[in-house]
Amino acid sequence: MIAKIEHITGHYGHFDIDGTMHRIYWEEAGSGIPVVCLHTAGSDSRQYRAILNDPEITRHFRVLAFDLPYHGKSSPPSEKAWDAYELKASEYMATIISFIDGLNLERPIVMGCSIGGRVILHLARDYPNRFRAFLGLQSSPDVPPYYDVDWLHRHDVHGGEICGAIAYGLMAPTSPNADMYETMWHYMQSGPGVFKGDLHFYKWDGRLTDHDIEFISEQKTGPIVLMSGAYDYSATLEDAKELASKLSAQFIPMPELGHFPMSENPEKFLTYLRPVLKQLQAQ
Amino acid sequence: MFEQLIAAQHADPRILPLGRGLTTKLIVGMSQDEWLVSIHDGIIIDVSKGPFVMASAHFSIMADEEAWIEFMQPIPKPGYHDLMALLRRKRLQVHGNLQPFMTHLLYFKLLLACLRMSPDEAANI
Repeated sequence: MIAKIEHITGHYGHFDIDGTMHRIYWEEAGSGIPVVCLHTAGSDSRQYRAILNDPEITRHFRVLAFDLPYHGKSSPPSEKAWDAYELKASEYMATIISFIDGLNLERPIVMGCSIGGRVILHLARDYPNRFRAFLGLQSSPDVPPYYDVDWLHRHDVHGGEICGAIAYGLMAPTSPNADMYETMWHYMQSGPGVFKGDLHFYKWDGRLTDHDIEFISEQKTGPIVLMSGAYDYSATLEDAKELASKLSAQFIPMPELGHFPMSENPEKFLTYLRPVLKQLQAQ
Repeated sequence: MFEQLIAAQHADPRILPLGRGLTTKLIVGMSQDEWLVSIHDGIIIDVSKGPFVMASAHFSIMADEEAWIEFMQPIPKPGYHDLMALLRRKRLQVHGNLQPFMTHLLYFKLLLACLRMSPDEAANI
């Protein structure tokens, strides 16, 4: 049998992020308006495979999904490899800006999920003119801790299994089993302590206040669109709707989806995403 | 309600492999009714219904009756579809030594989800 070969290409590039060189892996497909995709905490760019493989999208958009340092194929930078990992808002934004500058991407659309859905709000606050649009999946300004995240990185608990188990419940029970399993698998493959380290941004360092939200709403930015899956009990649909209202952002509820719309049920998610991208293309 | 766990553990082929190495006792239920579940090396060997005078268990998983019924719907509503979702909504509490619960979190999630009703059962509640 002749193999079916996907059109996605993988690349490594060397980027200066806040004075430290990083070898970053990304995948891309398509041509046109760049769309930079940001994965969730403790996972990697594989979450965006369905978007990268969708000809309706790649016909008009250059879709790029990179692995944050410590995730997927972007290994920790050698000079920090033994340090405890904690993602901070400043370095998260610096990584994204370094990526788009390093590839000379002009005013891309930025699309992020969960921590990625949070950081697009930081970008809208601090870099309002660098992006054509801000697309937040499962965005939230703040998620107070509701379980002890120390369980994610302990000597007596298997890190891959606990991270996978946490991710599993964030998906809609009606999502296809194979896609749910693979979404969980990405979490099971995460490096030790990385999911917990990302949650440092999500639950502490990257929290946004009402003042931040008000500031963003008064900024002259490209369109902000928030899309929210109802089965996400972390960044809830109700909270995302309220956030969208405060930002005067377009809000798209996705009742059949959970915290990982792009990977837990890609076919369904594409039915929501394609019209949004088409609309952004026309603007 | 939870007596069915003995049979239910075989309903989903994912469950027994996930329970490997797990030997523990837990109490599961709601304030007015509780069950003591004994697990040995990933197999539920006994489920006893209370009330108990001095039940000894490593931890407990307790929710209110309405929350359990919602969790056990064939397709639960958002927020009721997962143990941690119920925890987030403050409808479920886990107390005691949580180590066996967290080492085998997916096991417990799928095990209790095996008690979900069929559409016919749900219609007759």
